[in-house]
Amino acid sequence: MTRFQLLGAAITTEALKIRRARVGVATLIMLDIGIAVVCVAAVLGARSDDAALAAKLGPLVAEGGWAGYLSASAQVTAVAGLLGFGVVLAWQFGREFSDGTVTGLFAIPVPRRIMAAAKLLVYMCWAFVVSSGLVVSLLIGGASLGLGLPGSDIWSLLARQYGLALLTAGLAVPAAWAATLGRGLLAGIASIIAVIMLAQIAVFTGLGAWFPFAAPGLWAATAGGGPHSLVSAGQLALVAPVAAAFAGLTLQAWHRLQLDR
Amino acid sequence: MVEAALAVAGLARRFRGGAGIHGVNLRIEPGEICAVVGLNGAGKSTFMKLVLGMLRPDAGTVMVKCVDIRDAPAMTWAKVGHVVEHPFAYPELTTRANLGLGARLHAVEPTKIKRVVEDALDELALGPYANVRAGVLSSGNRQRLGLTSALQHNPSLIVLDEPTNTLDPAGVILLREALLRRARRTGAAVLVSSHHLDEVARIADRILVLNEGRIIGGLDPGGVDIERSFFALIHADTEESA
Repeated sequence: MTRFQLLGAAITTEALKIRRARVGVATLIMLDIGIAVVCVAAVLGARSDDAALAAKLGPLVAEGGWAGYLSASAQVTAVAGLLGFGVVLAWQFGREFSDGTVTGLFAIPVPRRIMAAAKLLVYMCWAFVVSSGLVVSLLIGGASLGLGLPGSDIWSLLARQYGLALLTAGLAVPAAWAATLGRGLLAGIASIIAVIMLAQIAVFTGLGAWFPFAAPGLWAATAGGGPHSLVSAGQLALVAPVAAAFAGLTLQAWHRLQLDR
Repeated sequence: MVEAALAVAGLARRFRGGAGIHGVNLRIEPGEICAVVGLNGAGKSTFMKLVLGMLRPDAGTVMVKCVDIRDAPAMTWAKVGHVVEHPFAYPELTTRANLGLGARLHAVEPTKIKRVVEDALDELALGPYANVRAGVLSSGNRQRLGLTSALQHNPSLIVLDEPTNTLDPAGVILLREALLRRARRTGAAVLVSSHHLDEVARIADRILVLNEGRIIGGLDPGGVDIERSFFALIHADTEESA
């Protein structure tokens, strides 16, 4: 068998697992519907007669209309998305140890590095589906709020939202590495919580634009690359090498894997 | 000279505290069933993991069909089947789907997977559970699933670590027959570890005793009091080491 055929076998395997497992479907629903529901609730809260609630939620949707609604979605996606994507990656990699199935991934024709690559490729496809679904959910949510038909400027904000979701999916890759090193799900989930905390600290201290784990959220929540954006294209581009580096570390960890603990 | 199905030379892996495997040599011919027995903590699972590349040795080599496992190509591993510690069974997948997945990862041709899986379901009497998710199977049936997955592609080397631990008597008999069939008819070599002496005596051509990470001797599978012989070897070795 060629390496391409082995990769095909591994991808088929991983796709079957994520399709049949509750975690893949549940996280998809949580991200696609959950984020839209939170944003709809924020807009409704800001519109409410309750002055205290309106004051609290007002800044989240300050711009009003589609722009305010999508600004809220960007802020929610930056945090909830990272957590949701991280949970799925932690599950994909950590469950092999937690379920004991990792022993079955040794002494087979498919090298472990290819198995890990297949997991990441399937995750990427899943992330594309989630990101696309989120845009659709947000459109439905906006329509249900009576925001009207989105204009051309709003389509660019939706494209920004789509980009943010994909970038966030890339930034969750450290969870795969941590779940491998920690031999289980919890290590992966803990790592993503740590990343979220570090991102918050970076934003609060003004370093967010240079911290790849915070930059996309900051970019999407501000002017999305426009003249008022707090994040330059160069700073945003740092996301790609960071995601690639952690993907490389994960593949190497699977290649060198030993069941010695 | 016949090409050994498995050849282990000077295999060693030492863990902190001194436990591990210390210079094990072993050669298994095609068609031979070799059992490794020992007390808990003797190093049986560590030995199996070293043979399958789950652990890297400090010293020594493992050759499968004369190929060093450090450089083994995909097709060498395609002819190996194993169960170590946990059955290869994903809880969210049905028995049938798990077997299909196992066949695919063992490089069974896609057009043959369905036939291979159906035959395997019959062989270890898993038919009634074919469409049941592995997560709701009893531990015995999950183990049976793992064993089926390890055997269905007709490997020429089978490595099983304490395979009967959770099996019911019917499962033990089915496994015994499946192993004997493969060894006698297709020439598969079998390395099986256990601490059930009677059970391995029924199928093994050779029984080796592992104690404190070393092979300390052998037992006659046809012997009348195999248990007494086993403990005599263990006690003699322990006294010698003391």
